[in-house]
Amino acid sequence: MSIRCAAVALWLLAGLLPGAAENCSVSHELVATFAPLPHVHDDVVKNKKLNILVVSAAPTQVGAAAGLKSYPSFMETALKERLKNTEVSVFAFSVPRKPIDDVVAALPPLLKERKPDLVIWQTGTVEAIRAMDPDVYGEKLMAGVELIQAAKSDVILMNQQYSPRTDFMFDGAPYTDNMRYVAQARDIALFNRYEIMKYWAETGVFDLSGMRNDGLYEKLHKCLGGLLSDFIVRAGSLPGSLEQ
Amino acid sequence: MSLVPAGRDLRLDFFRGLSLWFIFLDHVPSNAMAWLTVRNYGFSDASEIFVFISGYTAAFVYGRVMNERGFVVGAARILKRAWQIYVAFVFLFVFYVAEISYLATRFQNPLYTEETGFFEFLQKPEVILIEALKLRFLPANVDVLPLYIVLMTFFPLVLWPLLRWPNITLACSVAFYTLARVLDWNISLYPYDRHWFFNPFCWQLLFVIGGWCALGGVTQIEKFLKSRTVLVLSILFLLYAAALQLSWLIPGVTRKLPTWALVLPLNKSDLSLFRLFHFLALANIIIRFMPMDAAFLRSNLAKPLLLCGQNSLEIFCLSVFLSFSAHFFITEVSARLPVQMLVSFIGICIMVAVAALMTWYRDIDRRGGKPPPSSPKNLGEQIA
Repeated sequence: MSIRCAAVALWLLAGLLPGAAENCSVSHELVATFAPLPHVHDDVVKNKKLNILVVSAAPTQVGAAAGLKSYPSFMETALKERLKNTEVSVFAFSVPRKPIDDVVAALPPLLKERKPDLVIWQTGTVEAIRAMDPDVYGEKLMAGVELIQAAKSDVILMNQQYSPRTDFMFDGAPYTDNMRYVAQARDIALFNRYEIMKYWAETGVFDLSGMRNDGLYEKLHKCLGGLLSDFIVRAGSLPGSLEQ
Repeated sequence: MSLVPAGRDLRLDFFRGLSLWFIFLDHVPSNAMAWLTVRNYGFSDASEIFVFISGYTAAFVYGRVMNERGFVVGAARILKRAWQIYVAFVFLFVFYVAEISYLATRFQNPLYTEETGFFEFLQKPEVILIEALKLRFLPANVDVLPLYIVLMTFFPLVLWPLLRWPNITLACSVAFYTLARVLDWNISLYPYDRHWFFNPFCWQLLFVIGGWCALGGVTQIEKFLKSRTVLVLSILFLLYAAALQLSWLIPGVTRKLPTWALVLPLNKSDLSLFRLFHFLALANIIIRFMPMDAAFLRSNLAKPLLLCGQNSLEIFCLSVFLSFSAHFFITEVSARLPVQMLVSFIGICIMVAVAALMTWYRDIDRRGGKPPPSSPKNLGEQIA
């Protein structure tokens, strides 16, 4: 009995200690790809080009975040390393703190101008904060995805991040659920940023509860950019893919 | 401690207690222990259990008062309860505002610039406070209380016809639900174009169904409920819901399903019919296989749950407060799994301890008060 108690105590203690090494790898299921990226595949294989558009409502380069590098640029660097001889360009577009209606409205001119092979659509946070009707959100998301697909581009949806300090204030789950539905209905990928970051928090890779600028931003975005680049390479069955 | 007023169906207390535990576990954000709760294994969740049982006990207890002492006394008792719930809501709101105000002034991690958009709400504190008192600004996790307030406030007008013409009243409730779904009725919130998370025009249906069951509705359809067909259909539906809900979370598994079978995500705000029927199927099976006089309900194992269920308002408020605290502990100390388990376990222990204390207080109040000390009627009303 006492041995068991000691084991439990040790286990609890281990839970309290910070993680030893920073390692952004996550469990395989979290980044499994099910939907192909045909346009990405074709453009890379045939034209040696990869043009990615990242769309979000994130006010990234403001306040304490000004001047910090975010996941789109880390992803670009990683892709350029993986895809030698391919011209990779990543363009990040944001309508800061505006709900999905504004993002969808901005899509047509943006798609026309950028002609992306892939749109990574980061969404769900502003809507959760404003407690938008999840059904309405789902409809708008579907409409937006259809616009992107009609413009002959692949889509990856990215849900809200895991934010332990604020997640009691608003619930992102209904929005992620709608992303799941749209992803299945339109046969596109969902990059589950929330679960990935939660995995890091639970396994002690990152302490995500910092109140101040603790240097976490770039480390975490570098990990996200790396995972995303790997996700794109695998889903698009690109030459750099290890599974090939 | 006496837990058993004569004639009371202990299953109500048991499952209301269980729903309170579930609500606590689900309300601690990102809590891995929430995997133990019913929402992961089907369409409905603890909210349905809580609202149904609240409707059942309200009709059972206040129906008797209204029958014996008239509409005015019955209505007065119900409104007093609604007022208590309103006060509880305001109490919890104060804690909530304190926590977000604290965060708003200190939270400057650039990683979360998007999330801090939430603090815009605090720019006009006077507006937020007034809107909250008007039930037009509702914090997450507390939103079942405003629903309960509205349902109780209008309950006298429902209970009176429910006692006389139960089936017609139920039909009206169904009609009201249908209208609300078709015409998109809901109560708007401040600010933006937000609405109540628990749409009272829709959720009233489950509350009224609970009341209808309590006032003898179930006996009318007992034969139907006990038929083999209904049993088989209920089990099949529950299995389908569990399979879909579980596989939904694993990417790739539900991809091959035809669209008509993929009914998720369901609308919780408007009480989707899939959720309603899932709950009714679940309730039917539980009632069938767990009789009212099950020995288990009188055992010590069931006692912690009965205690919580019998002090539901207090324990609900406590659970919201505890979920804030548990969340605070998890973010301050560690988010790792063993910590989540420990915090969840301690939270439930506190809920049970406080419930036991409330019951003890009620016992000494009764002993010190006027006779008859053991009147089950009085006790029944306090735990409605």
